[in-house]
Amino acid sequence: MESAAALAQLRQMTDRIRPLPGEDWEALAALWRPLSARRKELLTVAGQQEKYLYFVLEGVQRVYYLDDDGREATLVFTYAPSFGGVLDAMMLQQPSRYFYETLTPSAFLRASYSALADLMQQSLPVAEMVRLGLVQALSGLLERLAEVQSFSSEARFRKLLQRSPHILQLVPHKYLASYLGIDPTNFSKLINRIRI
Amino acid sequence: MERKMKTALLHSLERRVEAHLNIVIGAFQNLPPERLLQQAPGGGWSIAQCLEHLNSYGRYYIPRMRQAVNNAPDAEALVFKSSWLGDYFTRLMQPGVHARKMKAPKGHIPPAALDPARVTAEFIAQQEALLLLLRQAEKKDIGKIRIPISISRWIRLKLGDTLGFLVAHNERHLQQAQRVPA
Repeated sequence: MESAAALAQLRQMTDRIRPLPGEDWEALAALWRPLSARRKELLTVAGQQEKYLYFVLEGVQRVYYLDDDGREATLVFTYAPSFGGVLDAMMLQQPSRYFYETLTPSAFLRASYSALADLMQQSLPVAEMVRLGLVQALSGLLERLAEVQSFSSEARFRKLLQRSPHILQLVPHKYLASYLGIDPTNFSKLINRIRI
Repeated sequence: MERKMKTALLHSLERRVEAHLNIVIGAFQNLPPERLLQQAPGGGWSIAQCLEHLNSYGRYYIPRMRQAVNNAPDAEALVFKSSWLGDYFTRLMQPGVHARKMKAPKGHIPPAALDPARVTAEFIAQQEALLLLLRQAEKKDIGKIRIPISISRWIRLKLGDTLGFLVAHNERHLQQAQRVPA
């Protein structure tokens, strides 16, 4: 994707969160660099710092947790247009507890968090935009937590398809099963039941 | 035998594996089980059987290749030259080149009764592992590492040929699977 088109997508996103005055937008836009990644590349590794904020242009990625028994739990999917990365590790400047990985070939814009943090000190509108963006992310997470605790597996699956109708054709089912907290055998039963 | 730039060869194999994954993730994994188990006319293999046949090769080769790659020292080899036999096997598998029917060797004949979701998931997991292997191989001498073939432990192919063979073989049977009528 051309950098002008990529930045236009980013601006649409920030405008939806909190429109920025021209000068603040210019300063924010200057922080981003294009990055492309192949399928199954680890962008952030557990135990390491999250140095970047990502803006997804293409592809599907996930944040996952790896437990002591080597089991993976898929916590979040990211896809265009949305921000990505391990946000808590980034903002707290602490080692990440999670991995951030591409599940398909992907394209991003990415900004160094230290540069973004500097800009947030200088620009109140940018700081406000980031704060509101984080609140929206928190709101999405709480909504998902409510679904995980209260919905049936079928309702969780329908909700996922409603949010991301193309995900079945893009992502291997094992990651969808892991996201929904269903074992792969029950996931294939579920998808066969819903298809009919 | 043709000499190829190693990274160009590995990248082109990676692009083909990526294309294979797109077929299976975009189409096969979403088909109903009856469709995946539907046999081709004249007793030909179902889609699930094609994938299980490929899985039987992956189960043999992928762990062996991974171990060999992990044990091999990093190497600055820029070119790869197929062996005569490796080139022959890869050409034999290439779809379209020798389109004649071949008989699957013992140990690689897929049963008709299969769990299609499990078979499809295993194929996807194998291709994801193969992608990582192709990237790791960029740092190694793929002409020096050798892997015994699945049907005779006395014949050992260069890693570059084994990878080329496996990808060509996957392509052959994925095309066969795509031809199975509904």
